[in-house]
Amino acid sequence: MRRIGKAWACALVVAALFAMGASAQAKWTIGMSQCNLGEPWRVQMNADIKGEADKHPEIKMVFKDAQNDTLIQRSHVEEFISAKVNLIIISPKEAQPLAEPVSKAMAAGIPVIVLDRDIIGENYTQFIGADNKKIGKAVGEWLVRKYGGKGATIVELMGLQTSTPGQDRHNGFIEAIRGSDLKVIFQADCKWLEPDARKEMESALARYKRIDVVYGHNDPSAHGAFLAAQSVGREKGMAFVGIDSLPHEGIAYVKQGILTATFQYPTGGDVAVVEALKVLGGQKVAKRIVLGSRIFTADNVAAGGEPLK
Amino acid sequence: MLKTLRKALSSSAGRAALEFLLVLALGMAFNADGAFFKLGTHRDTLRQASVYGILACGMTMVVITGGIDLSVGSILGVSAVSFSILTMHMDWPWPAAVLACVLLGAALGGVSGGLVARAKLQPFIATLAMQYFARGLAKYITGGKKISTYVTAKSGEVVIKELPSIFKDIDSRILWGNLSIVSVIFFVCIAVAWVFLARHKWGRELYSVGGNEEAARLSGVPVRMTKFLAYAFAGIMCAVAGIAQAAQETQGDPEAGKDYEVIAIAMVVIGGTSLSGGRGSMGLTLLGILTIGYLQKILSINAVPEAWRLMVTGVIVVLAVLTQRRRAK
Amino acid sequence: MRALASMRGISKSFGGAPVLDGVDFDVFPGEVHVLAGENGAGKSTLIKILAGAYSDYRGTIELDGRRVRPVSPLEAKRLGIAVIHQELSLVPPMSVAENLLLGSPLVRAGFVRARAQRAGASAALAEVGLNLDLDGAVEDLPISSRQLLEIAKAVRLEARVIVMDEPSSALNAQDAELLFSIIARLKATGRGIVYITHRMEEIQRLADRVTVLRDGRMVGSREAARMPERELVALMVGREVDDRFPRHGSAPGSVALRVEGFSVRGADRSARPLVDAVSLSVRRGEILGLGGLQDSGASQLLLGIFGGLPGRASGRLEVEGRELSVRRPRDAIDAGLALLSNDRKATGLVLSQSVTANICAASLGRLSTWGWRNPAREAGLAARIGASLRLKAASLDMEAESLSGGNQQKAAIGKWLAADPRILLLDEPTRGIDVGAKHDIYQLMNEWTARGIAILLITSEMPELLAMSDRILVMHRGRITSELSRDEASAERVLSAAMGKVEAAEAAAEGKVRRC
Repeated sequence: MRRIGKAWACALVVAALFAMGASAQAKWTIGMSQCNLGEPWRVQMNADIKGEADKHPEIKMVFKDAQNDTLIQRSHVEEFISAKVNLIIISPKEAQPLAEPVSKAMAAGIPVIVLDRDIIGENYTQFIGADNKKIGKAVGEWLVRKYGGKGATIVELMGLQTSTPGQDRHNGFIEAIRGSDLKVIFQADCKWLEPDARKEMESALARYKRIDVVYGHNDPSAHGAFLAAQSVGREKGMAFVGIDSLPHEGIAYVKQGILTATFQYPTGGDVAVVEALKVLGGQKVAKRIVLGSRIFTADNVAAGGEPLK
Repeated sequence: MLKTLRKALSSSAGRAALEFLLVLALGMAFNADGAFFKLGTHRDTLRQASVYGILACGMTMVVITGGIDLSVGSILGVSAVSFSILTMHMDWPWPAAVLACVLLGAALGGVSGGLVARAKLQPFIATLAMQYFARGLAKYITGGKKISTYVTAKSGEVVIKELPSIFKDIDSRILWGNLSIVSVIFFVCIAVAWVFLARHKWGRELYSVGGNEEAARLSGVPVRMTKFLAYAFAGIMCAVAGIAQAAQETQGDPEAGKDYEVIAIAMVVIGGTSLSGGRGSMGLTLLGILTIGYLQKILSINAVPEAWRLMVTGVIVVLAVLTQRRRAK
Repeated sequence: MRALASMRGISKSFGGAPVLDGVDFDVFPGEVHVLAGENGAGKSTLIKILAGAYSDYRGTIELDGRRVRPVSPLEAKRLGIAVIHQELSLVPPMSVAENLLLGSPLVRAGFVRARAQRAGASAALAEVGLNLDLDGAVEDLPISSRQLLEIAKAVRLEARVIVMDEPSSALNAQDAELLFSIIARLKATGRGIVYITHRMEEIQRLADRVTVLRDGRMVGSREAARMPERELVALMVGREVDDRFPRHGSAPGSVALRVEGFSVRGADRSARPLVDAVSLSVRRGEILGLGGLQDSGASQLLLGIFGGLPGRASGRLEVEGRELSVRRPRDAIDAGLALLSNDRKATGLVLSQSVTANICAASLGRLSTWGWRNPAREAGLAARIGASLRLKAASLDMEAESLSGGNQQKAAIGKWLAADPRILLLDEPTRGIDVGAKHDIYQLMNEWTARGIAILLITSEMPELLAMSDRILVMHRGRITSELSRDEASAERVLSAAMGKVEAAEAAAEGKVRRC
């Protein structure tokens, strides 16, 4: 026991030295409050922030995880204020309850960059985010271009339908295919979960002889659908399309020929750091940045995908 | 005819079988353009119920002692990511990885068991704590990311490794494609659990401890060891379920198995095993597993919206438990 | 002087069996009225009727000359009747002050008036002369203080009739003195006290009047001064003991079990020990009866010997000349001991399991190979044991729950016969079973002793104790107060000893001894 205790003490001292070493050079401290790290996409967002921040020795990042709890996230902001950080990046869990602490930070003279989900009111320095509805629409338009006129049938494996991203990815898509001869024949709420998507796809396969396209609201859903089709030998000739394009998921699936296409939902983590440096350097920045998306297909994945118009 | 029926319904097994038949009839009525009558549908139903079923085997042991195990889903997650890391990233041979996962599952279950049997914590509390701890452990091991064959190389490039063959083997089928290996694993688990429960001294002691702990103690039953082993056995089942889950997902997801404990408990209870302990059997649990498994499948092939699925499942669980309630004498 | 409470012609039966039959009972202001009687004489039922626990009785109750019929404990409390049960009615996590005011807190507009509460609580403690921290949690108090706190609570509720059901049973000598002084105070304030006790010493010391119940009937009620001890015992015993029980004594063999200096401490360290340095030995083929009234400690003695009270029992055990260390029941079972517990439903059988499973429960290891059970062997053993016990069941595969009481008892006995014991510890083997089954069990006891099994028998039925025992040890508050041979034993002598009279040499010479 005692020996283990000593080992911990050593580790703490070393960690503290590192921290001091890092802060010795840093001019600015940026606090980052992530609403939860249960989703790989948000893990990626933090990784993107860290990757960009590592290129700039003059800033030091402090990451906090709110574990999907709005109250914890509120206290993050309060802690950042009392720690007098130079800038706050927040990817909020909820729009309403976080508006007030963000205003407080602004009042204390700390600029705030809001990432991914907007908050109520305009009292922040900058909002950076992508548009789920636009991306859902882009998926639909792309499919209409590719499959229009052949009466293609679609299975839609939806993200959690009580969440805004899930609803937007659905609504944008439906808007785009309206008027075409593409038809959604099977829909299920898979709550972003791959095992659920596989099960629902198996039901769709049992029920429908002809399935041309599977649209998964996220890449794991499309991947689960692929596994289901593969296990009954029906994956050939079926198109699997997903959203998010994380390096370990969607992009890798496209590289392997599992997914036909994946549409990026950018985290904006790298952009946020670049913008933060501008703010700290006294430059004026745009109030809102809507991130552009990219599409990755077998043809362009090696080249890093293509930006969507 | 009516007499035979009444006699059949006087036992828990008869009532559980009736519930299952009613759900099957539901499937025939709502057969989704004949999809319900395809062999593949039943094969998939069985496979989809298998992971839950493996958890329910362990859960049955614990419930018979009068306890409950809320940590099964989380331990499944730990096992899924451990198995993936060991085989995908560390290139362990699969038997060694399986053994390691089983030992890890037994250890985590054993800790719950120790807390219940020796420290006399309420099973609900002890296993709730383990639910949190094991989920945290799964996230700690993986850094919050899914473990797949896509590995980031030192250069930052994502490298795609070969999927270990054991993943494909577990997610394959035998009998001319009519039986999933995952289901075979489930049948083995339920057979092992059945043999222990029905034929081993320990199985009998589980019933005694659940039925009347004080009488069991005064009959010389090692009460603490009996309970401890129940939770450790449940932990082993979680480990096996985790491996089966990872193989079907071709990855280790630290979130795997979230909320599965609720489904496993529902399967055990619907079968007729009493939450107050002392009564139940593996046969009943098997019927419970099939009932819930088929219910999920029928809702899925009919593409029933999520809101309705939840409500229908809730109603069926209540009806089933009401049927199973022992009539007051 | 008018009685505070007066009960007239009280009758009550449970499921057709009369437990009280036309009992009259009065309590006057400023007196201690002792209610005496053997176990099952009807004392508790009478008290419960006074306390409003039953409403389906015949007879009348008057309080201060006014007809009342309390139909709930709450109503009885309002009428000024407080009962201090052995199972206390305190809420352990709450403080002393909160407990004292429980059920009648001082409130204004729904809010507790904390300061007034405290004042009221400390006044209540002062009235009984008890010195406790008002803010301390009751669960941290020793049992003795809790018992006294319960009395303080009753006093605060302005109870005029206070019923105490064996209040001293958990108290050590010092706390008992405190209790007696509290009772003296309560008497002085004109309250009437009904006191139930099994201790002769307490009767002599406290009682102003004594009423004796026997088999649900009032058999005597007199001023204490006119009720000498011998007469009291005679009233309690009353009936002739017949020879329904065929004990065929066999020549006792070597010593099977020797117990030396065996003690069991209470659940609470401050409480008196439940068993206090008891020594005894029982020979092969002998039935040693353990007599005593409630709280004699005999059950705890057997449970302790059997390893059922780990951490609380201490003392030396010797089985067939070899010292034995028992830490858990398994150790005792392996040494050839078997304990038939006194409550077959709570601690004897697993009612949800089959009769066969119950019979095999203590012998599973022996019946299994490498832990794997052999159902055929189990069924065979259960059938053999069932037959030898004349156990009647439609099938031995049915749940023990569905058996009749007598057959359940036989299944519980069967569990121990299957384990092939050499020493049987029987705690109330005939409780709650019918006459036929009782007779079967007596026969079996004869058969077992003929085979050389030693039996330690606890029974609260005096005739059974006298008839079946080869030798009787009487216990009172954890100690042995008397040892009687079969020829010396009489109901009177057992009862006197059970009430705390230590057998002296001259006592043996007393006449009017009923032999059996």
